[in-house]
Amino acid sequence: MTATLAQAGGFVKPNRRVFTLEPSRVRSVFLDLVRERGQEGFYVSTIVGVDLKEEGLIRVDYFVVLLPEEETVVLRTAVPRDNPVLDSIVDIVPGALSGELETHDLLGVLFQGNPYLRRGFFVPSDVAEKGVYPLRRG
Amino acid sequence: MARPRLLPAVVRSLLGRPSTVQYPYVKTEVEAAYRGRHYADLKKCTGCSLCAIECPADAIAMTQIPAHLEAPKSNPRRVYPKIDYGRCVFCYRCVTVCPFDAYVTTNFYGMAGPRENTSEQLSLGTLERVV
Amino acid sequence: MVDKVVELPVTIEIPVGPQHPALHEPVLLKAYVDGETVVKVEVNTGYNHRGIEKLCEQNTFYKDIFIIGRVCGICNTVHTDVYVRALEQILGLEPNRRAKYLRVVAMELERIHSHMLINAVMAEVVGFDTLFMSIMLDREKVMKAKEILTGARVMADYMMVGGVRRDLSDADAGRIAKLVEQVRERLTYYKRVFEEDTTITKRLMGVGVLKRVDAVRHTLLGPVARGSGVRIDARVSDRYDAYDELQPEVVVRGEGDSWARMMVRWDEALVSAEIVLSALSKLPRDGSPVPDERKLPRKFPPGEAYTRVEAPRGELTYYVMSDGKANPYRVKIRTPSFTNIVNSAFLYEGYTIADLPVILASLDPCISCMERAVITDLRTGERRTVPFTQLSRGDKAWRGRGFYLL
Ligand code: SF4
Ligand code: SF4
Repeated sequence: MTATLAQAGGFVKPNRRVFTLEPSRVRSVFLDLVRERGQEGFYVSTIVGVDLKEEGLIRVDYFVVLLPEEETVVLRTAVPRDNPVLDSIVDIVPGALSGELETHDLLGVLFQGNPYLRRGFFVPSDVAEKGVYPLRRG
Repeated sequence: MARPRLLPAVVRSLLGRPSTVQYPYVKTEVEAAYRGRHYADLKKCTGCSLCAIECPADAIAMTQIPAHLEAPKSNPRRVYPKIDYGRCVFCYRCVTVCPFDAYVTTNFYGMAGPRENTSEQLSLGTLERVV
Repeated sequence: MVDKVVELPVTIEIPVGPQHPALHEPVLLKAYVDGETVVKVEVNTGYNHRGIEKLCEQNTFYKDIFIIGRVCGICNTVHTDVYVRALEQILGLEPNRRAKYLRVVAMELERIHSHMLINAVMAEVVGFDTLFMSIMLDREKVMKAKEILTGARVMADYMMVGGVRRDLSDADAGRIAKLVEQVRERLTYYKRVFEEDTTITKRLMGVGVLKRVDAVRHTLLGPVARGSGVRIDARVSDRYDAYDELQPEVVVRGEGDSWARMMVRWDEALVSAEIVLSALSKLPRDGSPVPDERKLPRKFPPGEAYTRVEAPRGELTYYVMSDGKANPYRVKIRTPSFTNIVNSAFLYEGYTIADLPVILASLDPCISCMERAVITDLRTGERRTVPFTQLSRGDKAWRGRGFYLL
């Protein structure tokens, strides 16, 4: 699986390997993962969105745990802040659902193709109605 | 079937005394090192405000020592930390960061009550009156 | 004369919760039922938001330790441990062996009482209140042990960068060991009750069966996954703190039903008791485990860390990013309950309404844990109050919220 990815970005402490990829390739990478490791070969532990205001980017990290050795690797991608759109992977890995819902509600990343996406999943309605994404940097 | 396994326990509980502690008529036993009510000993406190800055619950307000009390020379600004026990979460961060080990800790926990509850009296009680 | 009856399949929506669906915490399961059978469940969240991730960005690294302890009362030591270890990674600090052992003791005590709690609640859910009371009474012993170790029954505030916040005397270590030995005996007894009692087995066996592949694909963690035969345990794979020396045995069962999940918890509690006892018997003596909090580094270098811990409910992860300023740039908390609750809606399908609380309880839902994620606007401090009449009229604004006033 690693052969299909250029390794860059080094490590997140402690020793979690980071693979940087283009936002357009997220789906194909997860399809590769399923093909090569099987449905039971990994799980998506969490999706972490970070608003990098200065760079004008929202970084989206998929923390994937490879089974059975339980090694955590980071698939790192970034989307522009003014148009944060990514392809959803819930149809490939349903476990990504909670992470996508949360990242959408708190940071406003739009996961295309996720039918469950909605505001107000976590955020109170008054905040959601104003279109405020709480974890965006002011 | 194996259901009667619990029966002896049930019978024992029926015959024995209740396990519930009848607080507040009976005091709950706590450890001597339990994190309970704490206050600053103003003989040691220098009024540096570090505890108030570090308090995660924002429960400490630096307050003037009243004029009729004698503040130590090391406390030129005559301020002391007044803890609002209603806000305090008893993490003891203030105790561990104080550079002069000024805090007195106790295991007293019965602080519920209708009135405002602060460390004012306890702290000021450590000082003497000006004669 | 009527000679034909046309039956329309009717699906009725039944709200389970948000008041105490299983544990005494708010979550709403919107169940669509066809007769008695559940055909679809929607999990509705948002009743317990406190904005902790944002709060962490607005407070210093050290204050966050105490804020994070309050994400969840039941598992506050694991939360602080995993956060503190992330800070240690960023700082390049390492606590001494004694501190690591004491951390393990605190976390394993917590696992015992957490597992006892959810098993007791399960007994209550199936209507077996005697067993509930009995387990809770024995759980008090563990709470006492925790009080001896950390200074409070629940809120331990025990972890600190570079170690723990209070040392343990030999006399107290002996007292804890004695309490844990008593509890271990009771745990064995309760495990037998769960194995043999007909009330329990009839209600739990074959309910909410989770296949191995579904557990992995849906990121279900901890005892839920281990009850379905997935061998995952962050204690074994990450070997944090003293788990490199105190290797726990990973309990795995194959049945995958609610009963298997509860049995995994009993077995794990027994393993935890073993770990506590062996940790206490060989507590290293390499100096004080308590760092001087006045001398800890004030400045954090830029960097990021992602730490995992095996909380009672499964893998708990923290991502902490520092940009060199006084406050963390980002703290991301992913609790096991978050995925276990949100991703598990499929698990209820095909079972009856009465099974719903059983399945929910078997997932050990910790709502506070899950819903730490946010949000009043802290910057403007904006809050809205809605008069009750408006609420009862089903005001449009409230309807937009997408839950029970629909
Ligand atoms: S114990 Fe904690 S919350 Fe209470 S005053 Fe001290 S620092 Fe503040
Ligand atoms: S840190 Fe200590 S010396 Fe400073 S104000 Fe607080 S109690 Fe007084």
